[in-house]
Order: sequence, then C-alpha cells, then structure tokens
Amino acid sequence: MFEAPLPLLKPALYARGERTPVLLGGRCACGHIFFPMQTFGCERCGKFGEALQPMPLRGHGRLRAAATVHVHADEKRPTPFTVGTIALDDGPIIRTLLLDAPPDDAAPGTEVEAVFVEVDTADGSKALDLRFRPVKQ
Amino acid sequence: MSKLLRELRPVYVVGIGWHRYQNPSDTSYVTLGLTAIRAALADARIEWPVVESTYIGTALLGMAAGRAMLKHLGASGKPLVHIENASASGSAAFRHACIEVASGISDVVLAVGCDKRNPVVRGFTRTGIDNLADDAIVPFTHFALLTNEYATRHRVKPEDIALVAVKNHGNGAKNPNAQRQKARTLEEVLGGKPISGTLTALQCCPVGEGAAAVIVASADAIRRYGIDSSRAIRVASSAAASERPGSASDADATLTRETIQRALHEAQITANDLDVLEIHDAFTIEELLYTEAAGLCPDGAAVHALKAGEFHIGGRCAVSASGGLIAMGHPIGPTGIGQIAEITLQLRREAGPRQQPNARTGLAHMVGLGSVCYAHVLQRDS
Repeated sequence: MFEAPLPLLKPALYARGERTPVLLGGRCACGHIFFPMQTFGCERCGKFGEALQPMPLRGHGRLRAAATVHVHADEKRPTPFTVGTIALDDGPIIRTLLLDAPPDDAAPGTEVEAVFVEVDTADGSKALDLRFRPVKQ
Repeated sequence: MSKLLRELRPVYVVGIGWHRYQNPSDTSYVTLGLTAIRAALADARIEWPVVESTYIGTALLGMAAGRAMLKHLGASGKPLVHIENASASGSAAFRHACIEVASGISDVVLAVGCDKRNPVVRGFTRTGIDNLADDAIVPFTHFALLTNEYATRHRVKPEDIALVAVKNHGNGAKNPNAQRQKARTLEEVLGGKPISGTLTALQCCPVGEGAAAVIVASADAIRRYGIDSSRAIRVASSAAASERPGSASDADATLTRETIQRALHEAQITANDLDVLEIHDAFTIEELLYTEAAGLCPDGAAVHALKAGEFHIGGRCAVSASGGLIAMGHPIGPTGIGQIAEITLQLRREAGPRQQPNARTGLAHMVGLGSVCYAHVLQRDS
C-alpha cells in the first residue's frame, strides 16, 4: 500500500536533500550567507529585496557546543532534551535541537549532520522536523 | 562633530536608593518604585520638585506605568519617559539621564528602574521569520552552550566555573538589598537543581521584583541645592553599542569587549585602574567571559584570577561586590541602575561590610537581549 510521505513541520526552513536535509538559507550580493532566508535586508551590508537570493545550505557542519536542558517552562518540550551550536559548512552558525545527548566523546568539533525525525504536530498529526546528530564514522 | 559624554559638562551621581530586590510578591510596583526614589531623594537631601526630568527603566510593567507611580511624589508636571532595552533598560535610562544633564538641558534628573515579574512577549519573536527551535533555547540554555564552549576551549571544569557563584553569593550575603542573602559553599552550588548543561540553579540569576533609583546632577545644581559634594561621584564615561554580524557564539563577549574599551578610553583609564566592577553576571559563565573581555585578565585566565582572589572584595578588583545578578538579583529594569548605585556606595566608601578598600574607580556593565551593551565608568575625585 502506498503511503504518502510525511509533511515537513517547517517547510520554510528546510527541505529534503540528496543525502541529508538542506537548510533554506540565503546569500546576499555582498557575499554574506545567512539562515534562514529573508528579504528584509542583509545584516552585513543592508541590501534588500532581490539582492538577497535563496541558497540551500548543506545539512552538515561541526558541533561547537552542546547542552542538555533539564528545566524548561514549555510543557510541549519535555525535558531532558539536548541543543547544540553548529557551524554549518556553508558558514552560518545555528543553534537547534540535537537528536540525542551527544556521547561523552562527541566533544565540540564533532562532525554533525541533519536528519529528519517524526514529531507530533499541534493538531495531533505527524510531521518531520529537523535534528542534528554526529556523523557515523 | 559628535562628542563624548566626558566632553560635555560634568555629571555627578548625588543620590541613590533601592527597594530591596525580592521574590515576586503582592507589593505594588508603585510601592517598589516610590521606596527607591524617596531613598534617593533623602540620600541627596533634596526635595522632589527639584527633579526636572525622569527616565524610567522598565521592561515588564507594560505601557505607561510611570506617571501612575510618580504622581504620588506630588505631580510636578515635569517630563518623564519609559526606556525599555531588555536587561539593559536601567543602564539605558541612566545613560540618557546623564546625557540630559551633560547637555545642559536639565540640572537634576532621576533615573529609576522598577519592575515586577510579568510575562511579556519578546518583540523579536514577531519578526515573521521562523526559526528552527529558538523556543528550546531560552537565556539559561544560551549560556549553557557558552559554558560548554568555554569549558572545552580553556579546559576548565564545572566546579571551576561554579566558583563565581560561591564568590557572588558570599557578597550578596553582605548586601541588605540583595534578593539572595545567603553564603553558599561550592558543594551547595554544584549540588543544586540542574538547569541546563552544567549550570545549576544557584549559578543562574533570580528574576524577581524591586527598584533602584539614582539622581544625577550638574555642578551648578550641587552648589544651588547645597548637596554634599564630597559624596557626589563623577560619571566619567558612558558607552553604548549593539551587536554586529559575526560569530553568533561569542557575540556578547565581543560586544562587551568593544563597549568597555570605549568606556575606559573615554574615561582615560585602563582596566588596571578599576577597583570595582559590576558586571552582567546573569549566569556564572558570563563573569568569566566578561572579566576577560574587560581586560582584567587574558582570555582563559579568569578562573585562575578568581581562584587567586583577585576578583574578591579586597582583591585587585572587586567584581560584583553587590552580589551581582546571581545573588543581588536581576529584576530587569532596576538592575543597571542598582549597579550604578552600588558603585556610588563603594566610591563613597559607604559600602560597610562589602567595602572594597580605597575604591576610587568603578565600571558598570550590562548586556540586554538583542544584544545591546552599556558601560559606565564612575570615579571619585580624590
């Protein structure tokens, strides 16, 4: 039986890629690369509108830091969960959820990649959301 | 051509006052604010009608809270304005009060910070640009990430970083205006409730309620109203800045470095001249990052300096002698003004059991979400 693929939770931010998901960033005519895509204006030079063009960013980078959160006011995010600071290969530094707490040997500097995970949406249906995890050697 | 505050006419802090920072209570913000203002007026030995203008640092009270408070001092008809700049709201209010006096527009101006803990919408969440998981990264998690990065880069342990909290709780225990007035051992700090990463509850500032007030005046006003000039403390510089694009993970430290350097340069001093430093230590890691950024020690050397007692009261430069945000508390609007009041107390040599010996020069530093940054140098004349 054919099953339709699950929708993406935040399709403005990421898309399916060839190997790993891609992040929907942008590039300014000045060369500044940013995430997520926006056309309000470039944080580096102030150009706006068509000077800012979409640029898919590889879902791959290096972990700069990680922290497992033990206290969080929003019940929709039960603790513990782990977040990381990731320097993407394409330049931007982002912070988002990691798939699991990194093992003790996943120190800052560890190679990480984006993956999709199934999550519950607000209306109870399923969708895919983005996480990062250490690249399996 | 643009000018620095120091190039305008001199500005002095002549009156300081607090309502103790405390856990959320039923106390009206009006009571909090009036208590601090009346204490500052009494400290300066002047009457309310002398105050020509008021800047109110508040981030959580909501629209137009100020006149409903100030009118109970006797509605003088003088101008007032609210300043919201996140955690740096009070610092911004103080800067603009100083600018109003320095420019000659007014002779006596009040900066008051007053807040109660209220849920507010953070404007930057309404830009219309979505984000991956910003809701998962609240401030203490932002700083937990910076803690992890610093600990890895400089090979320091969680128990080294927690020493900041031991020092600051010890200082807070000597401050009757502090929200937390209990000395803590390293074991108590480390053994407390885990919050995020290696941060425990006693390494994170409490956000409660309170008020702080500072009156600034010109030399003319000091003469005119017979204010005790020996207790007047000169505002030697004022620097403010906001974040520029760059490395997202050390933005606050970079911004701090640049802003404090400008404040020191304007005051014609170096970090070595600082006797007291009130810093934005909302989380333990911040004190390490910012004492290094201020130039008190090389990068990565703050733990060593801390262990050597250099940042304790009686050390080279007393850092967060008030208890800092970690122990004195961080009610938001009052915080930056409370720092100015603490430094004034120190430079007047009126700080009692937490007095830094021979304190002559102090710097107050705040970072606000965004990020924005403020640094003010205060100096006694002799």
